[in-house]
Amino acid sequence: MTQTLKPETAAPGGRVRLAAEQVTLAYDDHVVVRDLDLQLVEGSFTAIVGPNGCGKSTLLRALGRLMRPTGGQVLLDGQAIARTPTREVAKVLGLLPQSPIAPDGLSVADLVARGRHPHQSWLRQWSRDDEAVVAEALTWTDMAELADRPVDELSGGQRQRAWISMALAQGTDLLLLDEPTTYLDLSHQIDVLELVGRLHAERGRTVVVVLHDLNLAARYAQRLVAMKDGVLVSSGRPEEVLTEQLLADVFDLEARVLPDPVSGTPMVVPVRRLR
Amino acid sequence: MTVEAAPRPAPAASRSGTVVRVGPVSGVVRWRQLVVPLAAFVVLVLLSAVSLGRGDFPIGVPDVLRTLVGLGEGAQDFIILELRAPRIVVGLLVGLALGVAGALFQTFARNPLASPDTLGITMGASVGAVAAIVLSSGGAVAGLGIPFAALLGALLVGVLLFVLTWRAGIDGYRLVLVGIALWSICTALVDWLLTNAEIYDAASAYVWITGSLNARTWDNAVPLAVALAVLLPLALAASRSLAVLQFGDDTARGLGVRLQTAQAAVVLVAIGCVAFAVSAAGPITFVALVVPQIAVRLTGGSRPPLLASGLLGAALVVGADLVTRTVLPEALPVGILTAVLGAPYLLWLLVRGRRQFT
Repeated sequence: MTQTLKPETAAPGGRVRLAAEQVTLAYDDHVVVRDLDLQLVEGSFTAIVGPNGCGKSTLLRALGRLMRPTGGQVLLDGQAIARTPTREVAKVLGLLPQSPIAPDGLSVADLVARGRHPHQSWLRQWSRDDEAVVAEALTWTDMAELADRPVDELSGGQRQRAWISMALAQGTDLLLLDEPTTYLDLSHQIDVLELVGRLHAERGRTVVVVLHDLNLAARYAQRLVAMKDGVLVSSGRPEEVLTEQLLADVFDLEARVLPDPVSGTPMVVPVRRLR
Repeated sequence: MTVEAAPRPAPAASRSGTVVRVGPVSGVVRWRQLVVPLAAFVVLVLLSAVSLGRGDFPIGVPDVLRTLVGLGEGAQDFIILELRAPRIVVGLLVGLALGVAGALFQTFARNPLASPDTLGITMGASVGAVAAIVLSSGGAVAGLGIPFAALLGALLVGVLLFVLTWRAGIDGYRLVLVGIALWSICTALVDWLLTNAEIYDAASAYVWITGSLNARTWDNAVPLAVALAVLLPLALAASRSLAVLQFGDDTARGLGVRLQTAQAAVVLVAIGCVAFAVSAAGPITFVALVVPQIAVRLTGGSRPPLLASGLLGAALVVGADLVTRTVLPEALPVGILTAVLGAPYLLWLLVRGRRQFT
């Protein structure tokens, strides 16, 4: 397969890669997401935001076929993802769970090498492609120096870089990240989002990320999707979505929205919690 | 696939080990993961040869080897091939099966305590065997024979473990908890059977529970060998997905592992290995628990290696059996020795090593 480099961002109305159609998601009888429609086009960078428990991580899980919808379906390149062999999905769509587990003693190089799993077989465990792609992923994420270090000895920020490096080595066009900045201090949050932003801008990845920090989401993503109580409330460019009215409706937050002095994107300054 | 930027030269130490590529076959060979199984294999062969020579009628190692390649003489042939070999072969296969099963369980559950001993499977075998021994006057159970009753008990508990743990997949913690519950039920059953048993039956049942290679025949070895011929290739085939299952369900799925199939395969193969091993020699405890932990500390890496665990397990059982028959004044059941030899070695590795688990 060939990865195409798309430095410029795809125009709105580009090819739809991943779509949720009337998706309803439930844990047992508890419905978390209801009749949700969402389309993600080639080369877009989308952040899903919303209050705790709004179903944003659940939606991301369904988009990554980790969870089967009780109603509706998820389409990957027009095909029902549930009926596509998981290995074929893994060559196109990579995902980074919220708190991924790395076994003790596993080196960074080995972790990143596991990203090649969908491309390997029992006999073909380490081809020249695998080696080149992993070496490149390590270098590109600045992890080459730490390649021999055990993952469990890394700092939180380094560890997240290692996982992103693995996702890069997987070589998928689409990348779903569930709160990749959790537990990181601000400078490492920026570091991780810069890296994800470069994946999008320089490597042409279509990125969907669940984020808590609205200001960072507005700064790095081209498109925000706001959810509340399992329903998509608003979707569009950050300045369209992050309005004072929406913050009141979705987050029960009275806030001022100002232009970010650095990036010009909307910046939320909280005033107080409503209700 | 092509890569966007021209790949820079691989960082020298990006993957420690030697890359092997022959035609479409490729892989990374790490010398420690090659040397450890090789060394274990050599030790195993030596221990087996020494063990075959030892007994009431001692035979030197050269004569043993001569017999094994078919150049022996009548009396030695009989002693080695008919009297002693079954015992060694059963010990070897049991160690192999338990080592592999332990490695599978521990890697899968991400928990070194997940061993067939703690999961109740070996205890299930004990229930079957003790019932067969104690209820022998009753007839029904005894007619099956002890190995078969033990196999049945182990498989029954194994299937229960699988069914009770399965919830659209298997969670490692749930596996351990369900296993411990089954273990305590089986322990209670064994105790109940023993307290109601005749004293002679109770004594022979007790020897069985400890795990013994005494009086093993080819009848014990053959079913185990056949079972392993099927199960070991399956275990090795599962090892690739096992490497990814370690990352947790979500990541494994994200990397294209068919989660439920892979989980079911790993757990069922491990249960099968244990059931056949235990039915052949009784619950030789501690091998499945301790050997994978020793193996992973010798080979390095992030999970117990299957092959090295199997070979080290075989070497431990054969070695322990040799010690019980030669060094000790009276022949103890081998299960006592595997614990006595294995546990201190693990403790030493734990004290010396830096890593905490698995």
